[in-house]
Amino acid sequence: MLRFILRRLGVSALILFLGSVFLFFITVLSGDPLEDLRESRERTAPQQMEARIRNMNLNEPWYVRYWIWLTGVARCVTLNCDLGTDSRGADIGTALVNAAGSTLRLVTLATILAIIIGVTLGILAAIRQYSGFDYAVTFAAFLFFSLPVFWVAVLLKEYGAIRFNNWIADPAISLTATIVIALLVAFTLASLLGGDMRRRLVTGGVSAVVAFAAITYFDSVGWWRQPALGLPLIILVAAAAGILLTYVAVGRSNRKIFYAALTTVAAGAVGWFVFNGWIVTPTYPLLLLMFGISIVAAIVIGWFWGGWDRNIAIWVSIGTATAFAFATALDQLLRNWGPFLERKPRPISTIGSGSPNFSGPFWTGVWDWGVQLILPTIVLTVISLAGYSRYTRASMLETIRQDYVRTARSKGLSERVVISKHALRNALIPITTIVAFDFAGLIGGAVVTETVFGWKGMGAMFQEGLQRVDPGPVMAFYLVTGTAAVFMNMMADIAYAFLDPRIRT
Amino acid sequence: MAIVAAGALVLSACTSGTSDDDPTTGDSAATEDDSEDADDTAAPDDSDATSDAGEDEGDGEEAGGTTGKPDLGITETKQDNISYSVGADEWAGLNANTSVTNSVYNAVISSRLSSGFQYFGTDGTIYPDTDFGTYEVTSEDPLTVEYTISDDAVWEDGTPITYNDYLFDWVSNNPPSVFGEPPADDEDFVPAFDNVATDWGLYVPDGPQGELNGKTFTIEYSDPYPDYELLVGASFPAHVAAEQSGMTPEELVTAIQEKDVDAIAPAAEFWNTGWLSPEKTLPDPAIAQSSGPYSVDPAGGAEWSVGEYVTLGPNASYWGPPPATSNLTFRFASPETHVQALSNGDINVVEPQATVDTVQQIQALGDAFVLDVGETMTFEHVDYNFAEGSPWADNLAAREAFAFCLPRQQIVDNLVKPIDENAVVMNSREVFPFQENYEDHVAKIYDGRYDEVDLEQAKAKFEESGLEEGTQVRIGYGEGNQRRVNEVALIKASCDQVGFEIVDASAPGLGDVLASGDWEIALFAWAGSGTVTGSAFWYEIDGPGNFGGWVNQAADDAWGVISTTLDEEVQAEQLAIVETEAWNDLHSIPIFSHPGVVGYDATIDNIIKNATQTQAVWNAEQWVRQD
Repeated sequence: MLRFILRRLGVSALILFLGSVFLFFITVLSGDPLEDLRESRERTAPQQMEARIRNMNLNEPWYVRYWIWLTGVARCVTLNCDLGTDSRGADIGTALVNAAGSTLRLVTLATILAIIIGVTLGILAAIRQYSGFDYAVTFAAFLFFSLPVFWVAVLLKEYGAIRFNNWIADPAISLTATIVIALLVAFTLASLLGGDMRRRLVTGGVSAVVAFAAITYFDSVGWWRQPALGLPLIILVAAAAGILLTYVAVGRSNRKIFYAALTTVAAGAVGWFVFNGWIVTPTYPLLLLMFGISIVAAIVIGWFWGGWDRNIAIWVSIGTATAFAFATALDQLLRNWGPFLERKPRPISTIGSGSPNFSGPFWTGVWDWGVQLILPTIVLTVISLAGYSRYTRASMLETIRQDYVRTARSKGLSERVVISKHALRNALIPITTIVAFDFAGLIGGAVVTETVFGWKGMGAMFQEGLQRVDPGPVMAFYLVTGTAAVFMNMMADIAYAFLDPRIRT
Repeated sequence: MAIVAAGALVLSACTSGTSDDDPTTGDSAATEDDSEDADDTAAPDDSDATSDAGEDEGDGEEAGGTTGKPDLGITETKQDNISYSVGADEWAGLNANTSVTNSVYNAVISSRLSSGFQYFGTDGTIYPDTDFGTYEVTSEDPLTVEYTISDDAVWEDGTPITYNDYLFDWVSNNPPSVFGEPPADDEDFVPAFDNVATDWGLYVPDGPQGELNGKTFTIEYSDPYPDYELLVGASFPAHVAAEQSGMTPEELVTAIQEKDVDAIAPAAEFWNTGWLSPEKTLPDPAIAQSSGPYSVDPAGGAEWSVGEYVTLGPNASYWGPPPATSNLTFRFASPETHVQALSNGDINVVEPQATVDTVQQIQALGDAFVLDVGETMTFEHVDYNFAEGSPWADNLAAREAFAFCLPRQQIVDNLVKPIDENAVVMNSREVFPFQENYEDHVAKIYDGRYDEVDLEQAKAKFEESGLEEGTQVRIGYGEGNQRRVNEVALIKASCDQVGFEIVDASAPGLGDVLASGDWEIALFAWAGSGTVTGSAFWYEIDGPGNFGGWVNQAADDAWGVISTTLDEEVQAEQLAIVETEAWNDLHSIPIFSHPGVVGYDATIDNIIKNATQTQAVWNAEQWVRQD
């Protein structure tokens, strides 16, 4: 194993090195870094040219400039990187740290969401193969996969930001829109839950009526500008999460686990009253503290209820507590939507990660940056979602047809156990490779999304470097994304070896 | 003349109070006789006694046909925020004069934090900023200009703006009289001050003459210098530089006066780095002190979010008219995001690149937004290559043949009018169509012979030139500009009929293209400078901008006269000679001035497009949202 890792490291370093030479060469070759100054009749143009030539070592041939760059990078070994200065004399190291921070904020949530939603959709599509739901997911996946990012982003800004902001100023949903939304919900749920024709009609009918009623109710009480969940709904959400987790983990047989989840919900409700002051005006440390307390409480509850299934009880309790915590946070966020709208009448900006000079209570501050993540996250999620759902579906279908799954079924195990214990775990092994690779790709692949949404991340750095024919920022981009790609690939290989005992050597 | 003289006296009377013993009083008195000639170039004073002195500017402003800042009588600051964007480039710091920070993007912010003796009007005219101070030519031989800073003018911490600051500004131009001549053959030579400006140090070897902490100073030129009005503008707080480098302001002034290079060195080091913000956080307002209407003091609401925006607040110490709106936010947004951001209210004023798409999109936003399209001081032109072996060398008929087939009107109609419907073919290389004297100037230099494509004439000239049918004409330009691709296509369609064979010879990098000489026609643009002598280097033999190698003694002589006279009439006359030569002898052909676009929220008042590189933000302190 060690030899394998070392060999992989060696090959990766060589690839990185050759790639850097090539990229440096073609960047230098791509244009004239002094172009803007050559067209200038400003009195100071010659001085500016001289300074830029000095900053970028333009008097040296490209391989000497590359060598200067490489020796600077080599100092990273002693944690003393020198990535040089860009054409305007700014330190690239500082810019890189800022840009990487911005990109990570942007892609982390999108990656997590894409993995969760994509894998879930893929599993559901595989279980309900050739159903309406499967076809819908397949169609959507191919559609999203082939959409031009730039175009989607611009459209989202038009509808998700500009038109939404116009709408939220005086929100109302017409009868037609309500009916269309209700039908969409009905169709999705009906095809998702499956069953025979009669069952589908019932599911669809009920969900359509519920959706229609909910929207009409929200509309009539002005919920769009003054939303809230309230304690009863929080309890309901947490309880639903607890029941779902119990069902997935042990089925309906083990009552103790179920009671553990319900006790956690009850404890959460008590905590909600005790900590109400902190919940309404928190700080980030306070929020973390409260979350920590609820997790500890969940562990204790699980430990006492668990009996011989103590581990599972603890995990289900933790899951339930987390759901309760998130529902509470969501409730507070919704309650602060109104105050946020007062401070920012057009809530969603088309650019940037927050509004200039925003000041307000804690939860409105969360809205301010949170709302700016929505649109770019949708774009990034939708695009990588497609890949995940397709890969998971294919992998899952393959696993379901394996002999050991048939054996499990013939032993009389319930469908739940067969799917979650025998099929899913094995189907996930190939997905790890894709997840690792995709994360590396997202850091670099967010170039277009960043540009359209005005985030100054790695993408902007790369693009500006190219436009100015300035190899410094381009190489800094390469250093991070290239290293990330190579590193994540290696991680995937190693993880693969750990997950799949058959290829352990 | 008596009034001007009286004005000069009043001026010296006003200012002598602030300095203990003013030797410049004697200077201005001694040069009274010359001040009559200075009438049309001198700045109008803000004191009542001299209100007649600056007739030209003063009357123009009241007539409303002015290109300067309107007098709006703003007396109070509205608590509000207006956001503006010109592009994605981040602010680099207060000092926009260093070689690494000198850019339009940096200047749009730094200029709000300073004020000086003059500013550019919307058409490039130089206007004196009388809130800041006045200047006056007191002698033409040698050229001597007396500057008087307003008594009210102070830095943000209350320290008066004085001679000290301008002495420091002068030394930051690396004057050879202090630092010695830079070694000619040393490529790695780094001057003490990393300043892109050098003119003041070159043309005024002795520096400004004045008193420590004085409000007036005089500068004397070794040679007449027509661009003297632009030489002295805003300055930086010398007392901050002194304190930050371990000196008292007095010691710094003495060090500069005594040309003590070693003593100046720490201050130079501070000048190079102290007013920059490489870490991209708001600078300390005690160091980055403002002399303009805005400030970086967080107490006034200033804020810097890395990669996204800088917000400025009002400068409480500013003595001039208060800014109409308390906060300005400069967003670092790339031009392709501008239109949607404008429509969503994220940015209130945008200056994106002028393309057909942008213009149509802003128009489509409706009445709530205003689109202002107009010409800028950048113009497109073609240059002939006179190098040996070129078809143009010693062959005027060939050049004329090309000029007759060059479809200038068609280029403007097809490529520029969709953006700016008022665009016209530009017939001068030195005066822009939106400038007042354009018609007069063009009438003197050009008879309209190349206005329309005349293929018959072109063929006749082609015949006369003795060129072979199918002579290759490579049009060189920097790759990646779609408009220029289209221009070349139009030229090819027209000129191929005459007998030329037009070849699109674009390559990466305009500089490489021009330097390689692999072109018969170069197609590029010059960005205007607003100076009198700024474009001489395009015409002069061995001028660094004369890429084609045009040789014309008459034009060179005319430039020689222009660069040594202050008489605007003589300058105009000689400029007409240069351009007449450039038309008759065909040095180059101007095509159009580049269009510029400003889009803004219709609820904001006083937004005025500016053709110069100061952008629409030039009068940002007057912007205000309607109630």
